[in-house]
Amino acid sequence: MTTPILEIRNLHARIEDREILKGVNLTIPAGQVHAIMGRNGSGKSTLSYVLAGKEDYEVTEGEILLNGESILDMEPAERATAGIFLAFQYPIEIPGVATMTFLKAAMNAQRKARGEGELSTPDFMRAMKEAGSLLNIDSDMLKRPLNVGFSGGEKKRAEIMQMALLKPSLCVLDETDSGLDIDALQVVAKGVNSLRSENRSMLVITHYQRLLNHIVPDVVHVFSDGRIVESGDKDLALQLEARGYADFDGQAA
Amino acid sequence: MRATMPVRLGPAEDSLIAQLKSAGADAAAERITVAGLPTRRVESYHYTDLKSLLRAVPPLAQAANSANPPALDVPGAYLLTILNGAVQPAGAAPAGVIVGKTEGGVLSSRDDTLVGINNGLAREALSLTIENTVDTVIQIDRHIEGEAAHVVDALKIFVADGASVTILETFSGSDAAHVGNHATYLALGKDAVVTHVTLDRSSRKAAHFATNEYRLTDGSKLRTLAIHAGAGLARSQVFPIMGGAGAHADLTGLNLVSDGQHADITMETHHAVPHTSCQPLFKSITRGRSKAVVQGKLVVERDAQKTDAKFMHQGLMLSDEAEILSKPELEIYADDVVCGHGSTCGKLDEDWMFYLTSRGIPQAEAETMLVRGFIAEVLDPIEDEALNEALNGVVDGWLLGGN
Repeated sequence: MTTPILEIRNLHARIEDREILKGVNLTIPAGQVHAIMGRNGSGKSTLSYVLAGKEDYEVTEGEILLNGESILDMEPAERATAGIFLAFQYPIEIPGVATMTFLKAAMNAQRKARGEGELSTPDFMRAMKEAGSLLNIDSDMLKRPLNVGFSGGEKKRAEIMQMALLKPSLCVLDETDSGLDIDALQVVAKGVNSLRSENRSMLVITHYQRLLNHIVPDVVHVFSDGRIVESGDKDLALQLEARGYADFDGQAA
Repeated sequence: MRATMPVRLGPAEDSLIAQLKSAGADAAAERITVAGLPTRRVESYHYTDLKSLLRAVPPLAQAANSANPPALDVPGAYLLTILNGAVQPAGAAPAGVIVGKTEGGVLSSRDDTLVGINNGLAREALSLTIENTVDTVIQIDRHIEGEAAHVVDALKIFVADGASVTILETFSGSDAAHVGNHATYLALGKDAVVTHVTLDRSSRKAAHFATNEYRLTDGSKLRTLAIHAGAGLARSQVFPIMGGAGAHADLTGLNLVSDGQHADITMETHHAVPHTSCQPLFKSITRGRSKAVVQGKLVVERDAQKTDAKFMHQGLMLSDEAEILSKPELEIYADDVVCGHGSTCGKLDEDWMFYLTSRGIPQAEAETMLVRGFIAEVLDPIEDEALNEALNGVVDGWLLGGN
């Protein structure tokens, strides 16, 4: 059996004194797309931050393995170069940092971790152009400071563009559909789908079934009160949409 | 009834009094004899108590010969040098620039000890006249060489109506406990456009004091940038007088302070006539146990209606032990003006750091990116590319330099 890209075992995490993740178990084999659905406050976003290594959260129990290696002792930057990418629900605006400078630094950090030299300017420009055209991002947008003045849709597209450039093995998409109209959603979904591959896995976190019409998951998990309480195929998402989350409350996985 | 207590004078004051007396500057000597160096009780020195910070004043500088390079190399700049207070012979000036020498005492007298000392002791001044548009950056490098010395020097610049120029002043010297007291008087003609950058790269042992007085008239446009990146104790005084309708000044500055340093930018802008505007924007970055001060005073006279002036100071603390002190003051006698002030102070934003590092950018590199971003607002407007690049190099050097 090949090593799954992501394996989470009995994960507990808290912020200050509040326990938010209460025993998450999740395995995503290579090439699969898993969706996590759950109501607001169920701990979905916390799971994404804990995966990326945000320091506000403390893991109190359990294990996270990426390609078979524990990542719990890694800093966010190490996790990123190990292959985790989090597409933020609310991408951060950073005035004073040019988007291009940021992208180049991020790509070079990945290359350095792999023992490769810095990207040449023509290669960088080519990669930008390619990833940009996939997501309808023009060079004017890239000349602006990072995410500053981007519309909601532009921010989400820019996240997926970063994902395309950094080529992670695990993509975590946190509510990537929030704030998107149908057209923007299609562009983003098309970008995500083009990145599906047999050696890359994805974890798609969402409230709504809508996104899953466009990014069709292999497995759907229902998240409630800090745990996965039900798992099934893509039809589970339709059931949820029809019946709401109430049926799953208090269920054990 | 309160008896007047005589001020106890220290060695720094004794030296200053003797130096001023021997130069015939009796009034300035008398002032220090009576009041001493300013303490925190003097409002404009509240955070920079000279009496306790300046313990000694070395002897007045002797003439020196030096082949040391300027404090900053800016390719293509026209270089003028003032060495130990003496104006050095200059090479052929670019078209539109007249270089000369005049008497010291270039600053308007005001109730300020550093100004009094400069006017009392500066024997000569470098004079510059800018007649039209000059594309070459004019660099005045003020050097202090040899043993610890008290150097008092002066610069006087006239920029003709409609002329434009970028002037860079750099300050540096040997590694000794120098005290530099530097004056610049810069008068802008109608519609003149001037960028004036001052950069202190003196030794840590030195004290650096600079007073820049600006006179603007109808339509003059001024951008200033004062950078502290050297002396252990530094204070730059920025005193613009907005004296003509349509005059505008972007007054900027940057305190880069590391462990053991104290840097102070003190601005006082005088809006004297209607329809003038200024935009003061200062940034301080501190690390180790250090102190950065910015004081910004906006004075609007009774006739100066429609004044538009907003002072801003932003501080970034890279250590827990540093102090950033901010003091805005508004003194407004007109009733139809837009004046404001703001001040922020904080550490690097954790969410920003998380975003950058979550993309694989290492912690230290992410910090540097954010600090550069923080400073960009004051460096980016410097249009001359070679100068802009050289100044960015100074900042990068400081960032890489650690404590």
